[in-house]
Amino acid sequence: MTTAALDRLDPQARAAARGWSDIKIRNMFIIPTILFLIVFNIFPLLYSLGYSFTDFRASVNAPASFIGLENYRRLLSDPNIWRNFTVTAKYVIVSVGGQMIVGFGVALLLNRAFPFKGFVTTLLLLPMMMSMAVVGLFWKLLYDPSWGIINYALGLGRFDWLSNPDMALYAVAITDIWMWSPFVMLLSLAGLSAVPKHLYEAAAIDRASSWYTFTRITLPLVSPLLLIALIFRTMEAFKSFDLPFIMSGQPTTEVIAIRLYKMAFQEWQTGLSCALAYIMLIVVIAITNVYIKYLNRVKER
Amino acid sequence: MAAVQTSRQRLANRLAIAAVIVVTLIFLAPIYWIGSTAFKPRALATTVPPTVLFQPEITPFIKLFTKRVQLTRPVEEEVYEAAPWWERRIYDGGERVLRVGDSVQLSGYPDRFKNSLIVAVTSTLLAVSMGTLTAYGFSRFRVPGEQDWLFFILSTRMLPPVVVAIPMFLMYRAVGMTDTHIGLIILYTAFNLSFSVWLMKGFIDEIPKEYEEAALVDGYTRMQAFFKIVLPEATTGIAATAVFCFITAWNEYAFALMLTNRDAQTAPPFIPAQVGSGLTDWTAIAAGTFLFLLPVAIFTFLLRNHLLRGMSFGAIRK
Amino acid sequence: MRMKLTGVLAGIGLVLSSGTSVFAQELTIFWAEWDPANYLQELVNEYTAETGVTVRVETTPWADFQTKAFAEFNAHGDAYDLVVGDSQWLGAGSEGGHFVDLTEFFEKHNLHEVFVPATIKYYSEYNGKYWAIPTEGDANGWAYRKDWFEDPAEKAAFKEKYGYELDVPKDYKQLRDIAEFFHRPDEGRYGIAIYTDNSYDGLIMGVEQTIFSYGGELGDYGTYQVQGITNSPENIEALEMYRELYQFTPPNWGKTFFLENNQAITEGLAAMSMNYFAFFPALANPATNPHAENTGYFVNPAGPGGAQFAALGGQGMSIVSYSQNKEEAFKFLEWFIREDVQQKWGALGGYTCHAAVLESEEFRKATPFNEAFYQSMQIVKDFWAVPEYAELLSQMNNRVYPYVVGGQGTAKEALDGLAADWEETFKRYGRLN
Repeated sequence: MTTAALDRLDPQARAAARGWSDIKIRNMFIIPTILFLIVFNIFPLLYSLGYSFTDFRASVNAPASFIGLENYRRLLSDPNIWRNFTVTAKYVIVSVGGQMIVGFGVALLLNRAFPFKGFVTTLLLLPMMMSMAVVGLFWKLLYDPSWGIINYALGLGRFDWLSNPDMALYAVAITDIWMWSPFVMLLSLAGLSAVPKHLYEAAAIDRASSWYTFTRITLPLVSPLLLIALIFRTMEAFKSFDLPFIMSGQPTTEVIAIRLYKMAFQEWQTGLSCALAYIMLIVVIAITNVYIKYLNRVKER
Repeated sequence: MAAVQTSRQRLANRLAIAAVIVVTLIFLAPIYWIGSTAFKPRALATTVPPTVLFQPEITPFIKLFTKRVQLTRPVEEEVYEAAPWWERRIYDGGERVLRVGDSVQLSGYPDRFKNSLIVAVTSTLLAVSMGTLTAYGFSRFRVPGEQDWLFFILSTRMLPPVVVAIPMFLMYRAVGMTDTHIGLIILYTAFNLSFSVWLMKGFIDEIPKEYEEAALVDGYTRMQAFFKIVLPEATTGIAATAVFCFITAWNEYAFALMLTNRDAQTAPPFIPAQVGSGLTDWTAIAAGTFLFLLPVAIFTFLLRNHLLRGMSFGAIRK
Repeated sequence: MRMKLTGVLAGIGLVLSSGTSVFAQELTIFWAEWDPANYLQELVNEYTAETGVTVRVETTPWADFQTKAFAEFNAHGDAYDLVVGDSQWLGAGSEGGHFVDLTEFFEKHNLHEVFVPATIKYYSEYNGKYWAIPTEGDANGWAYRKDWFEDPAEKAAFKEKYGYELDVPKDYKQLRDIAEFFHRPDEGRYGIAIYTDNSYDGLIMGVEQTIFSYGGELGDYGTYQVQGITNSPENIEALEMYRELYQFTPPNWGKTFFLENNQAITEGLAAMSMNYFAFFPALANPATNPHAENTGYFVNPAGPGGAQFAALGGQGMSIVSYSQNKEEAFKFLEWFIREDVQQKWGALGGYTCHAAVLESEEFRKATPFNEAFYQSMQIVKDFWAVPEYAELLSQMNNRVYPYVVGGQGTAKEALDGLAADWEETFKRYGRLN
C-alpha cells in the first residue's frame, strides 16, 4: 500500500479533456446535498436559537418577550436537569458500550465461511428492523414479572426489572443493546470483510499470536467503520426517548429527551425547551468532535 | 507444525459457529415470541409458562384490518349465526365490526401500510443515490473546508426530533406540505442523508484509486469511471446503507405523527395504539408488527449477498 | 391563445368553487383513538344521513393526542373543526384563543339544565364562560372481584382479622384493609391495582381523588393560594394512604395506567382495580374478561372525614376557532345536544352527560357499571385547568412519584416541595404576588 498513490486526485492536473471536468463533477455531486440540508436545517436551527432567548409559549396567544439568557440560567441551575443529564450519560455509556461489544463480537464470530451465512445474518438484523415504540411495548411485556418470558426463562421468579430504581436503566439498556447491536455488527462485518486476507496469511506464516493479529491487523483496519458506528449510536442514544419513556417511569431512567419532550409538547414551554435543545446540541457536538478527531487520527495511520 | 495450526483453527471455527447458533437463538427469541403471538388466540398471549404449541389462528389479522368496538355483552344468537365466518371471530373476541350502511369499515392499517411503502422506498432511493454521489465527491476531490462540511452534514442528525418537529411543522404548514407523501419523503431523505454520506464515504475511501486512474488512462471519462468502476465496487456499502436508510424511514414515528393526518399517515403510530376500550390486544399488535416486519426483512434478505460479499479490492490490493 | 387562457381560468374557478362547496359539506372532529371515538363516528353517520353533511371523526393514539391537538391549535390550523378535548385544556384553549366562546349557545339552549351540573362546571366552564359541550362523561371508579369478596371462607377470615364484614369498601381505611387482606404474593394474587404512570396525568388522577376524599384540595382554584392547602395535613395523610396502597399492588406496578389496571382484573391478579368507567366495557364481557361474571364495580370510597370524590376523566366538545366551518359546526352541536341524539349516544356506548338520559332507569341498568358511573358523576372533581396545567402536572409527578413508588422521603417533604414549586410557577405567570 503506497500512500503516495492514495493522495487526492488533483482536479487541476486531472481536468481531463474528455467529459466533464472534475470540478464540475465535484460540484454537481456535493452542492445539491449541501444546499438541501442547509434549507432543511437552517430554519429549525434559527427558530430554536431565536426562541431560546424568549419566554415564548406556543400554546398561548401572547407575544414572546426577550429574556436574554434567563432560560439557560434556569435550566443550568435546575438540579433535575442535571440529574437528567447524568442519567443520559449513564444510559449512553451502558447501551452504546454494550452494543459495540456485542455487535463487534458477533461480527468476529460471523466473519468466516459457514452454511446459510446470509440467512443467519439477515435473521440477526431483525431486531433493528422494528419500530422503537413496538419494541418498547413488547419488551415491557417480556420483562413483566407476572407473565413475561424473561423471568420464566431465567428462573427469576417475580424479579422486578422496570419498577426497580436500581435495575430499570439496565433493563432498558439491555433492550437497546438487543435492538442495535445488529447495526454495529453489520458495519463491523463490512469492515472485517475488507481486511485483506494476505495480511492474515502473512501473520500466520510469522506465527503471530492471535492477540497480535487481532490488535495489530484486524482492529486498526476495522476501526474507521467501527468509529462511524460508534458516532451514530452515541448520537442516537443521546437522543433516545421511546424506549425509556415507554418502558419505565423511574426517575433513574428519565433521560434528557424525556424532559425535553414534556417541556416542549406537554407544557408548551417553547422558549425554555429550545434552550434545552441547544444545550443538548452543544453537548453532542462536543462529544462527536472528540470522536471525529480520533477517527481522523485512526485513518491517517 | 502447520497441520497442528489448522486443526486448532478448525476447532476454533467450530466453536465460533456453535456460538453463532447460540447468539442467533437468543436474539431471535423475542422475535419468535412476537411472531407466534400474531397467530395466537388472545387468551394465550399472556400465559406463564408461555404457550409454544397452539392451534394457529388468523383472527389477529382479521382484527388488524377491521374497525371494531367492544361489546358489553355477547351478541344475540341470530346475529351471530347470520354473520360470515370472519365476523364471528370478531364476535368471539367480544367485539363487533363497524359498518357504514352495509359496508364493513377497514382499520387504518392497509392505507397506512401503503403510505409507508411509498414514503420509505422513495426516500431510501433518494438518500442513497444523493449520499453516494456526495460521498464520492468528498472522497475523491479537494473540497475547501471539507471537514467542516462533513461535520455540518453529520450535525443535521444531532437535534432530537422533538425540537425539530415544531419548526418543521410550521414550515410545512406554510408551504402546504403537511399530510403529503412528498413532505415525508423529503424529510426522511434529509434525515437519512447525513448517515448515507458518512457511511458511503467510509466505503468509497476504502476503494483504491489506482483502478480509477487506470481506467482514466484507458480512455474512460471520470463519469464512466465512476459508474463502471467505483459503483460496482461500492455495492456492499450501497446495500448496507440502503438497508439502514430503509429501516429508519420505515419505522419513523415522531414526524409521521406530527406532519400527517389522514392522507399520508404511515403505519408506525398506528400499530401500538390498538387499545380499543382499555385492553391491550397483544395479538393484534403482534400481527401488525409481524406484517410490518416482512417488507424490511425481505428487502434485507434480497440484499444479503451484497451485504456480505466484501470488497474484492480489499482482498486483492497490495 | 386567449381562448385557452380563459378556459384554464374557468377550469381553475370551477375547481375552486366546487372545492369550497365540498369543504362546507364536511366537518372533522378530532379525538383520541379509542372505542368512544368509534361510537361517535357511528352516531354522526346519522347526522350525515339527516343533513348530507359528512362528519368525520379523526383519531390519534392517546399518548400523542394532546401534542397533536395543540400543535394544530398553536399553528392556527384549520384541519379540525371540532375537538373533543380534555377538561384540563380549557384554560389553554380559552386563553390561547383556540376555542370558540359557547356562552351564548349555552344560554340560548339553556344547557345548564340539560346537562349534569358537575359536568358543565368541569368540561365547559372557564373564567365564567363556556367553551365546550359535555360529551364523554367519565370518572375514576373501581372494579373488584365479587367471587373473592363473597367467598365464605374469606369473609370469615376477614372478619376475624379486621373485626367487620368483608364488603365493598365504604371508606379508604376499609379499602386499605381489603387490599392488605387479599395481598398474597405467594399465590400470585395481589390486593389492589392503582395508577402510577408519571408520564402525564395517570398517577396524579389516582392521588388527587384520594386527596379530595380526605377532604383536601390541591389549592385554591380561585386565588391560586397553595401554601397550607397543597401541603395540608389532610393531603399528607391522603398521600401516605396512596403510598400504603402501593405496597399491595402486583409486582412491577411502577408505570401503570388504564391498560394495566384492566389487565390486573382480566388476568386475575388483583382484588380491586382503579379505572375510568370508559374502560369498564372490556371487563363486562366474558370474551375479554374471563372473570366478567364475577367482576363488580364501586364508587371511589369516602375519606376519614366522610368526604367522597372521584377524579374526573372524560372530555367536552369545542369548536376550534380557526375552523372554516364554524357555522356548520354550530349546527352540528345543536343536533348533538338533542335529547334523542344523546339517548342514542348513550345507547351506542358513549357516556352521555345529559341529565335526563343519565338519570333514566334504562341508562342506569344498561350495564353492570352504569349505576356506579351515575353516582360517580355527581361527585367528580378535577385538577387545575390553568393554561400551565401541564407544568403543574410535571412538578407533581416529580415530587410525588419518588415517594409513592420509590419510597423516598416523606409525604410531608413531597407536598411541601410541591407547594413551593407551584407557588413559584403561579408567581412566574403572575397569578400570585
